[in-house]
Amino acid sequence: MDPVPAGGDFLAVLKSRGYELAPRLAAAAAAHAPLTHGTTVLAIKYKDGVLVAGDRRATAGHLVMYERAEKLINIDARSVLAIAGVPAVAYEMARVLEHSFQYYQRSQLQEMSTPGKVRSLSKLLKENLPMTLQGVGMVVPIFATYDEGGKVFLYDALGAQFESADFAASGSGALAVRSVLHYLNTWGGKPLGKYSEAETVVVALRALDTAAASDTATGGYNSKANVFPNVRAITEDGIHDIEEAELAKLYKSEI
Amino acid sequence: MTEEPYRWVEAIANRREYIEDQLARGSPIVLLNYADGLLLLTVSRETRKIFEVYDRIAFAALGHPADIERLRLAAIDLAHVEGFHRAVADVSLRRLVNFGLSPALKTAFEQVFSAPHIVKMVLAELGETPDHDLIVKLDYDGSYGRSEIEMREPFDVVAGTHPAEKLMLEYLVEHDGHAKRDLADAVRLAAQTWAVGMQLSERGRPADERELKLPPDFDAVKALRETLKTRHVEAAVLDRTRRGAAKFRLLDEKEIRTALKDL
Repeated sequence: MDPVPAGGDFLAVLKSRGYELAPRLAAAAAAHAPLTHGTTVLAIKYKDGVLVAGDRRATAGHLVMYERAEKLINIDARSVLAIAGVPAVAYEMARVLEHSFQYYQRSQLQEMSTPGKVRSLSKLLKENLPMTLQGVGMVVPIFATYDEGGKVFLYDALGAQFESADFAASGSGALAVRSVLHYLNTWGGKPLGKYSEAETVVVALRALDTAAASDTATGGYNSKANVFPNVRAITEDGIHDIEEAELAKLYKSEI
Repeated sequence: MTEEPYRWVEAIANRREYIEDQLARGSPIVLLNYADGLLLLTVSRETRKIFEVYDRIAFAALGHPADIERLRLAAIDLAHVEGFHRAVADVSLRRLVNFGLSPALKTAFEQVFSAPHIVKMVLAELGETPDHDLIVKLDYDGSYGRSEIEMREPFDVVAGTHPAEKLMLEYLVEHDGHAKRDLADAVRLAAQTWAVGMQLSERGRPADERELKLPPDFDAVKALRETLKTRHVEAAVLDRTRRGAAKFRLLDEKEIRTALKDL
């Protein structure tokens, strides 16, 4: 009954009840398992905050597994996790993270600071080290949040975190996206940070389309099935989705 | 001594006396429904008494701050672990009380060689509709349940003594406590009900509880106005209209002051 003196650390509470994020698998057993990964997600800092976007395709090797995957996960009222990597692990991390922030806020009676949140994800990635090293559960997420302006953090699979000045991209199509965004940010007339929300949405869609053109693991706009990328904005007022009707209009006129 | 059954019963009775004495002067708590959900209100000196447990669950307690804190953390742990392993919808107040808090309180109460929890609380769960709201009163010995009026009405109170609780409930019934008033009105009525309870609680626990009666010239509004000069009102809501999954919100000073300004 006596609670664990966890100081607001939800993962410690879970562990005290036998939870493990990354089971210690035998590497050989998993060597041939077809795993789903491959993705493009991106985050762009614009005038009012951060815009995050992700394609919808989930793949396993050369197979397309699913065309309606959600890769943007709301963690709290002003934070979104954009996941690239193995979905099973990524979704689990998002779940732990979401509960961790809530647990901290409710048990400690104050909200966790942005550096604290950023570090929490880093700890989870480190926790996942066995899965990463065995090549079965790598996750490389982007964490986007609003705290006196938009903030974007990119992680590597081992948990190192890097704050991005202007934008970040992750997944198999990241290189294409980064090239597009770098070009626009440097020679596009004005830096991305001065873009309005509407302008940023167009940039994000074009960047995703560029990634889909060269990367088989990234799904573009699927007009037959009417599947659109997820596009979400984080501003001072919270998180809002860019509606599919709006995206449909933009695909017709801008892409 | 506790090997002898009657000694054990005596020890438990003493314990009950001791705890009730400790609780008698505690600041009462009022839980009242309003147009958009449920309001919890008390008047505190320094320590906070109203807390969020989960998306739709909150509680308020009177008693020893360290005991309240221990139960608060236990409830939060239970709720979040359940919500994580299953789903948000599986976190229910009924289960939290029946299987988590109540057995723990009972165990602590009956182990006569260790300290019991000095605490009395009311917990609330906001349903999808007002019909599904759930209110539970939980005592230091782990017993939970509500009286007949309490079961019927969408409000409840906790005070240090039973006569104080009874008078507060009567006050709420008299003033249409079940009506879905707006938040400011609800804050006013809850604060006045608090004043009724406090008038009795201040006198502690007399030998005969029947002696506790309100003075004939008692005026809840006047008493409240007097209190507010030195102490501050703490209030929170579970608000059905709040965006997102978490429905709990502490009212800020300004909101409370505005609601109570034209008493």
